[in-house]
Amino acid sequence: MTVVDFLNLLIAALLLAGTYAAMAVGMTVIYGVMKIVNLAHAGFLMMGAYFVYELHERAGINPLVAVVLAFPVFYFVGMIVHWALGRGVPVSDTPTLASLLLMFGLWLVLQNVGYLVWGTDDRAILTPMTFATIRFGEITIPKIGLVVFASAVVSLAALEFVLHKTWFGRSIRALIQNRYSCRIVGIPVERTARLTFGLGIAFAGAAGGLLALLYPFSPDFGRPFLLRSFVIIVLGGLESFSGVFVGSLILALVETFSILIVPSSYQPAISFSLLVIALIVLPGGVAGFVARRRRLA
Amino acid sequence: MVRALPPLLLLGVLAILPLSDLGPNSVKVLFLTFVAVATSVGWNILGGFAGQVSFGFAVFYGLGAYTTAVGINLGVSPYATYPLASAVAAVASLLVGLPTFRLRGPYFAIATIGVSEATRVIMTNLEFTGGASGYRITEHVPFRQIEHYYTGLALASLAVAVSIIVRRSRFGLGLRAIRDDQEAAADIGVNPYAYKLGAHAIAAALTGAAGGVYARYAAFIDPEGVFGFPRSVGILLMPVIGGVNTISGPVIGGGVYGVIEEELVARFPQLHLLLYGVLVMLIILFEPGGVIGLLQRARRLALRRKVASWQPS
Repeated sequence: MTVVDFLNLLIAALLLAGTYAAMAVGMTVIYGVMKIVNLAHAGFLMMGAYFVYELHERAGINPLVAVVLAFPVFYFVGMIVHWALGRGVPVSDTPTLASLLLMFGLWLVLQNVGYLVWGTDDRAILTPMTFATIRFGEITIPKIGLVVFASAVVSLAALEFVLHKTWFGRSIRALIQNRYSCRIVGIPVERTARLTFGLGIAFAGAAGGLLALLYPFSPDFGRPFLLRSFVIIVLGGLESFSGVFVGSLILALVETFSILIVPSSYQPAISFSLLVIALIVLPGGVAGFVARRRRLA
Repeated sequence: MVRALPPLLLLGVLAILPLSDLGPNSVKVLFLTFVAVATSVGWNILGGFAGQVSFGFAVFYGLGAYTTAVGINLGVSPYATYPLASAVAAVASLLVGLPTFRLRGPYFAIATIGVSEATRVIMTNLEFTGGASGYRITEHVPFRQIEHYYTGLALASLAVAVSIIVRRSRFGLGLRAIRDDQEAAADIGVNPYAYKLGAHAIAAALTGAAGGVYARYAAFIDPEGVFGFPRSVGILLMPVIGGVNTISGPVIGGGVYGVIEEELVARFPQLHLLLYGVLVMLIILFEPGGVIGLLQRARRLALRRKVASWQPS
């Protein structure tokens, strides 16, 4: 492998990591605050993809504008879902199987509504950027990848700002740490949980729109990405936002560079294998692993 | 004795039913229902009794199907391949369980999605079984549907019998303890790890045999069909709909699923999963006991009415 090949792969991995982070962060906030493993994440990724697709095809709206529009729309969808499933999604300390199955049922519903509305055909969002590349000597960067990466980074930066500088964001972080203390200091737990659920779904929808710019999609679009999201948040230690970036980077690097070793037909198995390994070897995520090593040293 | 009567009656009716003039289509639906019931009851041993929800039972179903398929093509008697299919599935369940049972609840559930997807990808690429294009079974005996019918019925009965034995045994009691509180179970001397592995192996063996029985009937299997995620989903939905952690719940769930599936899949391929999704959500929200829970609730209600309307004479 030449240096140029290496750099090309590295850039591809970095661009992918940014998108992955935007995709997984929605799952992290919901897990962190409510301890719900949101299997319906896959369904909302898919819905986000079709949302952007429809706006682009029918109304001729620029896909990136559509992604921005996806945020408020899916935010409200998320709040409505949380309201409707109220008794099924309590704020709890440990993840329950009931909420897992509930979210799984929601995923089935979303997926098959998708099939009913859009059929089984693969769709793709094609823009003039889709096949364009930027060249720096021998290094080529796909333009669309760069744009998607930039949008993901901007949305994550906005999220960081909300989490650290607003009352709502601070209460989310407080809820992740300890929800009993939250009640004492006057944080409305249920209301924050609902807003957080909305936030998580908003990110799922928007990330689905971004992914749709990179890959063709069908109503089964979310499944591989659901598992990838889960790999990422497990690697990142489930509740930590900085962990999401670490996890995305690891997954993207492994997926990209494994092309060199693993035959391409076995590629889909990589993230799943990584998931099982991560769950078993790194139960506290990478951060937990580092902390443990530090304690031992 | 009285409680055993309705199931035995059902078994008797099903045993003599083919003597009447059933069309081949009805026999087919019943056969598929038997296979569905066997997998449903199998899943419940791990997912219901031990409370370990798995999204990966297609792995065992598929391995069983492929074991039987390869066995028959090598000239082994079909009936000898079923125990073999069970054994392969049970060994696979240990391989899957050894690492994943270090995880709890939802983490275990998610890990099983990973395992089943990885297995599907591997089987799709395996040259020796024809990869994604599937595997054909050639048997040099005439196809007799009635033979399949009775094999299926025997399998479903065996599954229910195993389920009853497990439920009533000391082992089953241990599983229930793990389901309720793993720490407390460990404190009183139940080894959660070993018990879960045991339940997983029994469940996998039943599912593997079901896969084998199905494969011989279908005469053609492909990775998407037997290892696909919808297969795992189906195996999980049946007991959840019928009522987990009971003997009859998974049977009811399997029966409902088997019959509805055959009718709905042909006409509305997407609608049936949508329906199941709605059903699961309703069940979790309103009646976690499934159909069995609903029946119990109705019986309580009727009883209360009777009590309320009772007048001393």
